[in-house]
Amino acid sequence: MRHRLFTLPLAVGLSLSLTGCSQLPQPREMGDMALLRTMGVDRTGNETAVTVSTGPRAKGLQGDREDALVLAAGGASISAAALALQNLSDSYVFFGYVDQLLLGEELARQNVGPVLDHFAQSREMSPGAGVWVVRGDSAAHAVSSGDGQGVESRLATLRTDGEMGVASISRTAGEVYTDLLEWGCAYLPALTVGQDESAALLDGGYAVLKDGVLAGFLEGEAARGLELLAGRPAAEILEARLSDEDVNVRVTGAETKCTFQQNGLEIVCRVTVRLTGHRQPLTREEMSRLKEDLAVQETARLEAALERLRFWQADCVGLGPKAALTAPDQWQRLAPNWPDRFQTDAPSLRLELAVQ
Amino acid sequence: MSKQQPDSGPHPRREPRFDLPLSLESLEQVFADCADFGKREVLLHGDASRSVTVCYIDGMTRTERLNDYVLRPLAQDAMLSSVPEGRIFELLEQGALYAQDAKRETELDSVALALVNGSCALFLPGRMDALVIPVATEEKRSVGEPENEPSLKGARDSFVESVRTNTSLVRRRLRAPELHVREFIVGRQSLTPVDLVWLDGIADPDVVAQLAEGLDRLDIDGVEAAGNLEEYLTPAASTPFPLLASTQRPDRFCQGLLEGRVGLLADGIPLGWLAPGTIDQFFKTGQDRAYHWMAASALMLIRYLCTALTLLLPGLYIALVTYHPEAIPVKLALSIVSAKQEVPFSTIFEVLIMLLSFEVIQEAGLRLPGPIGTTVSILGGLVVGNAAVEARIVSPAVLIAVAIAGVAGYTQPSQDFGNALRLWRFLLAILASFGGLFGLGLGIAALLFHLARLETFGVPYLAPFTTGPGSSQSHPSLLRLPLPWIKKRDGAARAWNRRNQR
Repeated sequence: MRHRLFTLPLAVGLSLSLTGCSQLPQPREMGDMALLRTMGVDRTGNETAVTVSTGPRAKGLQGDREDALVLAAGGASISAAALALQNLSDSYVFFGYVDQLLLGEELARQNVGPVLDHFAQSREMSPGAGVWVVRGDSAAHAVSSGDGQGVESRLATLRTDGEMGVASISRTAGEVYTDLLEWGCAYLPALTVGQDESAALLDGGYAVLKDGVLAGFLEGEAARGLELLAGRPAAEILEARLSDEDVNVRVTGAETKCTFQQNGLEIVCRVTVRLTGHRQPLTREEMSRLKEDLAVQETARLEAALERLRFWQADCVGLGPKAALTAPDQWQRLAPNWPDRFQTDAPSLRLELAVQ
Repeated sequence: MSKQQPDSGPHPRREPRFDLPLSLESLEQVFADCADFGKREVLLHGDASRSVTVCYIDGMTRTERLNDYVLRPLAQDAMLSSVPEGRIFELLEQGALYAQDAKRETELDSVALALVNGSCALFLPGRMDALVIPVATEEKRSVGEPENEPSLKGARDSFVESVRTNTSLVRRRLRAPELHVREFIVGRQSLTPVDLVWLDGIADPDVVAQLAEGLDRLDIDGVEAAGNLEEYLTPAASTPFPLLASTQRPDRFCQGLLEGRVGLLADGIPLGWLAPGTIDQFFKTGQDRAYHWMAASALMLIRYLCTALTLLLPGLYIALVTYHPEAIPVKLALSIVSAKQEVPFSTIFEVLIMLLSFEVIQEAGLRLPGPIGTTVSILGGLVVGNAAVEARIVSPAVLIAVAIAGVAGYTQPSQDFGNALRLWRFLLAILASFGGLFGLGLGIAALLFHLARLETFGVPYLAPFTTGPGSSQSHPSLLRLPLPWIKKRDGAARAWNRRNQR
């Protein structure tokens, strides 16, 4: 029995050291932490500038609120800048809760790859963080635009709205990075910083990345077209003029199917809308005219989006890879030159409209 | 005292206990300095030449029985004065006294022990034997409600301190003659009757034999507490987990017997034990079979969930807050940070101190009389807890985590099992404070290893969740299935006759 008492701890100790578990993790008190929520990354010259914000902080049991802590530091890389941030705060700067990433336009024009790579590989940060491009401005300005309240709440609302289909499609760093690695291009929502006193962050359409570099922005009708192609239309009211009244419909869904035909890529977009405002039941003729009217509007949007994407050679919604599922042998031939073929071979577009 | 072998064991038993010839004088010598020893000399039918001495222990006999059924016939029966002296005991033994039993004894030990058990002994002058007649008192606590295992829908009787009453409670429920009750006398000084109870043909004879052997081997001073049986009959020293299931409820005890388990009843202890005590027994209540199976299954799942909560919550809180804060949802983390800012102690210290305080308050509440205990609990739990939070000495999250863990522990039907969980809760919290989730995981692995190597009377302790040699897979005890579906007795009990219904 005594023999076993001595040998068991010895065996456990040896096993632990062999498995690399000889060093136990270090504890750290949460009360001493600054929990970062938002990170903005810019590129100025050869330096990467990182601006972080905690969002408004509660203090004490009564829930007294402290202003958001905003810190900024620069370095040769995002890791170096993040390390420099540790020296700026009297609390331990903890990146484990960063779930909002803002990329400055200047950085996006150079290369977002290293930033997304850092999020994918960091032990603390998560690729599940929502990502936006700040259009026409720096991420630092966007992060600090919320004054004491921070921008965390606004970004969280935008992200939730995007997931619920009432605002621009929200994307995570992991999704964007995956699209870049698989397809060479990706889209992500863009924001603009309001110029009035409130300096709120506003919807700025979509940024399209090609090989990690900003190709351009989609806005207005083209942005709506991108959403239809992606199958995630934002809730929107369309108006159609019938003989004696205006009819309102709400876009409730879209589904895009792609196939390779003999003459190239065929895109079939099925859009579902719901009548929301009309005075009396529509006749068959009126319904037909309504569908025609709506189809014209939606087709124009799709064409606007496709035109820009083809110009940039950026199939960022994966139309080609989707079609490849129906004709893998054909895709094998097309895949190496797909960006060129996507630009040169105009796809045939068909829109099917269903009114509920 | 032997100086050569100070720890070699107790003195050997004296056999016989009193090495004297049987006589009234010897008996008086045995019970010298015993204020409750009594004797009465009676003339047989008033004949001054014929007398008999009746000896008894006051308080152990029932006075009415002694007077009416022993002393009155001795004094009034004319035949006793007319027969030859040599035939008096023969007449008394054959029915001259109104007693259910009359036994002639020739050894002093037997007479002394009979007196202690409530009999009276009759001595005739010049004879070397005595007649022992049972006139024991039946004064005892009446059968009441099981306070530790209350019933909402079911029987409300409870075991009492008298083993014979307890066996009668069992036999009234299981009237089959196959119900066997074998009695052992345990304890050199207490001479406690301990009954082994089982249903022949259903119980595993191996378990019966093991328990019988264990009781035979038991050589202790007395059985004054439940531990005197539990710790001697099972390898309890190596584990805090109970290896014998105990209950106050005769209906639950009988259910165990019907499952093929072997029961144990001891005089002076209002409990019944069931062997083997596998882990699922400690999650079951007497009410499980009374409720609808869906409700009973849900309640059983809650008990398992509460076991995980009470065991893991403090350790998990330490691990997450001090080592892995990224695993906490954002809003909860922000709340914890804001509450923790002005607290001077580390989270680890906070949790361990709160766990200790919880145990102290609970212990104080149990030790004090009812109303004062309740006051202490309220003062300690609510007033001091609230004051500590407001004074920023502990953070509310710690208080909540420890309180939830503590309250979840009270869902355990078995107090012994709950106590084992409380010990392991401390251990897991300490391990988590050294290594976070790694330490906690290591602790859980150690706990599973510990449980997996335990056996109770040859059956794996984790049965029926696992199987071992000699135990077959039974119905899943995580849920209480509809009774018509449970066609076989609990496999963990290794019942011979496994089918329990058509």
